[in-house]
Amino acid sequence: MIKIQGLTFTYKDGARPALAGLELDIRDGEFVGIIGSCGAGKSTLTYALNGVVPHHYTGDMYGSVTVEGLDTVESSPEEISRYVGSVFQDVDGQMVSAVVEDEVLFGMENFGVPRSEIESRLEQALAEAGISELRHRATSTLSGGQKQKVAIAAIIALRPKIIVLDEPTGELDPRSSRRVFDTLRELNENHGITIVVVEQKIMLLCEYVKRLLLMDGGRVVLDGAVGDVLRQTEVFETAGVNIPRVATLARELTKLGYYSGATPTGLAQAETMMREVLGNG
Amino acid sequence: MTGLLDYVQGESFLHRLNPLTKLVLSFALCAAVFITDSHLIIIGILAAVLAFSAAAGTVSRSLRILSSLGKLSILLFIVQILFVRDGKVLLHLPFGLVITDSGVLFSLLFVLRFMTATLPLALMLAVTRISDLANVLVKSLHMPYSYAFALTTAIRFIPLFAEEMSGIMETQTARGVEFDTKNFFKKVRLLLPLCVPLLISSVRKTEGGAISAELRGFNLRKRNCGFREYPLRVADVLAVLFGVAVILTVSVF
Ligand SMILES: Nc1ncnc2c1ncn2[C@@H]1O[C@H](COP(=O)(O)OP(=O)(O)O)[C@@H](O)[C@H]1O
Ligand SMILES: [Mg+2]
Repeated sequence: MIKIQGLTFTYKDGARPALAGLELDIRDGEFVGIIGSCGAGKSTLTYALNGVVPHHYTGDMYGSVTVEGLDTVESSPEEISRYVGSVFQDVDGQMVSAVVEDEVLFGMENFGVPRSEIESRLEQALAEAGISELRHRATSTLSGGQKQKVAIAAIIALRPKIIVLDEPTGELDPRSSRRVFDTLRELNENHGITIVVVEQKIMLLCEYVKRLLLMDGGRVVLDGAVGDVLRQTEVFETAGVNIPRVATLARELTKLGYYSGATPTGLAQAETMMREVLGNG
Repeated sequence: MTGLLDYVQGESFLHRLNPLTKLVLSFALCAAVFITDSHLIIIGILAAVLAFSAAAGTVSRSLRILSSLGKLSILLFIVQILFVRDGKVLLHLPFGLVITDSGVLFSLLFVLRFMTATLPLALMLAVTRISDLANVLVKSLHMPYSYAFALTTAIRFIPLFAEEMSGIMETQTARGVEFDTKNFFKKVRLLLPLCVPLLISSVRKTEGGAISAELRGFNLRKRNCGFREYPLRVADVLAVLFGVAVILTVSVF
């Protein structure tokens, strides 16, 4: 459970608020995607969820953020991180160990996971992230995609209720990006972990998440089921985010009266739409 | 140079020794080299360390280290030999310089020490993962975890720095900056401004690491949190006894 009310945050040396009156409720087990142009406040929102704001990056903060009943201002980042696992954009920067296995052990050791459980959790986390064979590799020899999966495995091993990811596929090719999202979907569906993911690749995001948020100027300007959100193409234009061409196409076809269904969010649905349109015409 | 100091994966008996044992043994061999005044004993230690390297499968690396130290040693040898003036004169050189018998022996001892003292430490780094070393320092010697963490992080960052530095130098070279100048002072003047961007990007990287470590409970860590165990086995006892024996031998002779 995440509840954000009237959150306004200005970085200590920031000119204007990075978040401006943000409201957000996320229930257990949701899979939420966040998009927005550069500087919209997406990263700052992820920091607000894991306590990096206001504990590490200080500044002026108004409003409240409650995560699993913890007020993030009153709780330490360690307390919050018992519930929220975070994966950051910079894959190299977030590594703390020279070997994959140690990277996954690090958090478990710190949080005092019982000795008897560590080995099985380690194996499971590596398997879920799809990197069992990398267990003994040096982190410095891995590709960007592999490193990102190591970062995810290190979080999975801690069994958080919520995982927050900031552009986890930023440096990955399309295929590795899909694999990361497959892992996230698996965690969400089979383990009931709440996933909040910031992502630039809008088509990819729409294919996986159930709920989509569009951010602009430190606020959530659109929030809803993927199809409903994609329909609001004008808001996307104002926010400076390119909408998938298939969504623009759907809007035009709807305007012209050829189509009346939901906005497609993936290839299969786009095909259905085109069949319907061509069948009619 | 970075490639000469990092860990070489393996399953040899040296790899499997307790990290603490390896630390003690390498320091013992190192100390022995400085205690003894005998050329033969130092050569014996050198041979023993090379034999250990061979057993650990890192002999080619040890030889590479030795050969790069060798080049420096020739220089050191020449400088040293000209400084010693007592003993029987073997050769008169221009400018009143002389080469004496004790000069030769002393300079030889000097470079043998220099080369032999480096090898055990390099070998230890080749067969011990830094994280294991840090873990055992925390567990057994009660070093604060944050120090051990700083140590491993610093060592992990060396190749990253080097990579970044060469990246920056490449772009600058492409812009026409001549880094391959032979003039030392000119080179320093060219390299100095690069340190600022390097420092900024490094600080940014370490900041990300600090946040990521904190969010994974870094501050909650206690001394006995480490999952890995480092038991002392019979082999460890024997290795330490060997180190003690070497020290005793060189002290007596
Ligand atoms: N550490 C910081 N200090 C000061 N200002 C920052 C800092 N990080 C981000 N900002 C500012 O906050 C705003 C939102 O940034 P960010 O959350 O990173 O956006 P996004 O992730 O959507 O690109 C931007 O105007 C940015 O310049
Ligand atoms: Mg960002």
